[in-house]
Formats: sequence, structure tokens, C-alpha cells
Amino acid sequence: MSGRVSARERILAAAVGQIASEGIDGVRIARIAMEARVSPALVHYHFATRDALLAEALDYSYVHAGQARITSGEELPDTTHAARLQSMVEACLPATESLRQDWVLWVELWLRAARTPELRPVAEELYARLHAWFADEITAGVNDGEFARCDPDDVADRALALIDGYGIRTLIGDRGIPLERAQRSVSAALARELGLGGEQLTATRAA
Amino acid sequence: MSPRPKVEHLRKPQIIAAAADVLYERGLFDTRIGDIAERAGTSSPTILYYFESKDRLLEEAVDYTDRDFYARLLDGQAQREGAADKLVHLIEETSLGPGGLSDWTLWMEMWVRARRDPAVRSTYFRLDRRQRKLIADIVREGQASGDFAGEVDPDEFAIALSGLMDGLGVQVTLGQPDVTAERMVKRCLAMASAELGCELQPSDVTVKRGASR
Repeated sequence: MSGRVSARERILAAAVGQIASEGIDGVRIARIAMEARVSPALVHYHFATRDALLAEALDYSYVHAGQARITSGEELPDTTHAARLQSMVEACLPATESLRQDWVLWVELWLRAARTPELRPVAEELYARLHAWFADEITAGVNDGEFARCDPDDVADRALALIDGYGIRTLIGDRGIPLERAQRSVSAALARELGLGGEQLTATRAA
Repeated sequence: MSPRPKVEHLRKPQIIAAAADVLYERGLFDTRIGDIAERAGTSSPTILYYFESKDRLLEEAVDYTDRDFYARLLDGQAQREGAADKLVHLIEETSLGPGGLSDWTLWMEMWVRARRDPAVRSTYFRLDRRQRKLIADIVREGQASGDFAGEVDPDEFAIALSGLMDGLGVQVTLGQPDVTAERMVKRCLAMASAELGCELQPSDVTVKRGASR
């Protein structure tokens, strides 16, 4: 165990796990404190309200659990923009355990923000980050002549909405929409919008 | 006082309607059975007699608002000629709706609960499939009449369109800047037009609403 992990970070890591399994409403501060090996008072000190905790936990999860997304700069394939977009789609669907956890928090945020206007900027910020990530890649692909001319903002918006729509069904376990199908369908929709000939952004990877 | 059998007959739907209102306003976690009883003009034990838990009430409430939505939707569909008009109507009804209960809040509630409760999960799948079947049937009708391109898989298209509507519907419900209900209609029509090889235009309903904002 690294001694360098701050108490605040341990609290957030514990909160992500607890929210993912119990829901934001079911989270007990005492339990988070126990897992983070701090006192409940310290949890309250760092996070005055449940909403503050949810907001920070989401941010933490987005940055840490979605390693695939964050290290994207270096780790995305540098071959083609299409291949990079494909990896981005995969990194946004609930593919791994940490991405599933991130997704659960994301859905909890939707519900909470629907009733708590103060949380809406948190959702807005996350959407904006994802949007910029996709729109930049699409713009670069258009500029390099790899993608057909299009409105990158429009395509990015539609990509994110599709990812959310498929992702929620995959997350809940709709057997008709397993992860591979969600990946394939979003990828195919993007490929069509970007004027790529194939049925997918990139050739299907070996299973 | 009405005769007792009549009251019994009315009580369950009344409770469900009250549950839909209260759950929408407060959310499952912050709703007490007593709140629903008060709204329905009955007692908590009566509610617990009919419904064993808040999760069951949520399922019934979503089913109830969804049936309401479908009644309205099918009514409108019956007045439309041709698959293209029907699809435009479905997209507009889903996106614009009358607001309030038809937004995505109760669906989000279901998504959150569905992960933990198998009964809620199967109710969600049932309702989701109903919508997808309606979309797929319209596509089949349009393919048969030659209005829509034939090579599209109607079921695949139905998943994509309902996925897109959910993704955008969440953003509309959360009041995301730039994502209004009118833009949602346009996005969905653009997607459907591209996939089905046709030109779907918004009806006067969308045009008027967009202008009045």
C-alpha cells in the first residue's frame, strides 16, 4: 500500500465502490469511512453533502477508473482516426469492471440531477468533456481527409446519445444487446455518418 | 359513501396514479408509502395490501404512465397515413410529449433500480421491447410500401432509434444547454432519414413549438 495516497483520495475510491453497489441514496458515510480507514468526521469535512460526494466521486471515477479514456492521448492507436474513434467508443461503453462502475455512477447522476438542479453543472461538465473529445477527433479526421465533410459537433452529439442509449441497455443486462453488439452498432452508425465505406469504423478485431 | 365493491375496484388504479405523481416528484428513495397513501386518499396498510414494496409501485407507476403514453400515441398513429408520417409522429410524441410525467425521470429511476431488482429489470425489458416493436413495425410497413430502403434491418434500426431517443431524452430532461426537445426531434429525424433513405420532415407541431420558444 502506498502511503502517498491521500485520505481524500481513499475516501473517493471507497465512495465510488459504495455508490456503484448501493446507489447514492443507499450509501452510508460510516461505511465509506471504514473502507477508507478514516473517521466519519473526516468524510464530512471533505464532503459536506451527499451531492458533493457524488459529484466528486464521479469526477474521480471518470479520471481514474476510465484509464482507457484518460491515457487515451498516448494509448490510442495512432494509425487512423477511424481506429482512434473505435477505441474511444469502446472506452465509453461498460466494457470492463471499472467502466461498469463508472457507468453506474453516471446513471445515478442522471437521476439525481433530474431532481437536484445544483448537480446539473456536473453532468454538463462531463458531457462537455466527452463531447470535445469526440468532436476534436472527428474534426481532425475531416481535416486529414479521412472522414467525409460533416458537422463534427452534430456527429459527436449523436455518437454520445447513441453510446448512452446502447450503454444503458448493456449495463442493465439486456441479453439482446450484449457489449459486442453495442460496440458494433455505434461504430457502424458513426462509420456511415463519416462516409466510411465499411460496416464499421475499423475492421472487426479478432475475438 | 359509494358501495364497497365499487371502491375496491377503483382503489388500485388510484393508488398507482398517486404513486406515479409522488415518485416522479420525490424519487423512490425519498418517497414513503405514507406519502402515496395521503395523495391517494387511503392508508399505508391498504397500499401494502396491494403492493408489497416501493419497487413494485415503481414498476406499476411506469407501466401506468407508459400505457397512458401509448394510448395517446396509438390514437395519433391511427390518424396518420403511411409509414413516414407515423415515424415522424412517434419521434415527435416521444420527444415533445406533454412534459411532466413523460420525461425520462421515471425511466432513470427504473434504470437505477433495474440493476438491483430482477422484477424491475424484466418490467423495463418488457416496456422497452414494446416501444422497439412499434418502431420496427412502422419500418416494415414502410419497406413494404417502398417508402423506406429495404436493406435496413427493422429490429436493428429500432434499437438504434430508441437508444438515440433515450440518450437525447436524458439530456433534455437534465436541461443540457443546446439539447432542446425540438433539437432532439431534428436529430432523430436526421438519423432516421439517413438510415431509411428518405426525407423525413418535422410536422407543424415541432415547427410551432420551436418558434414559440
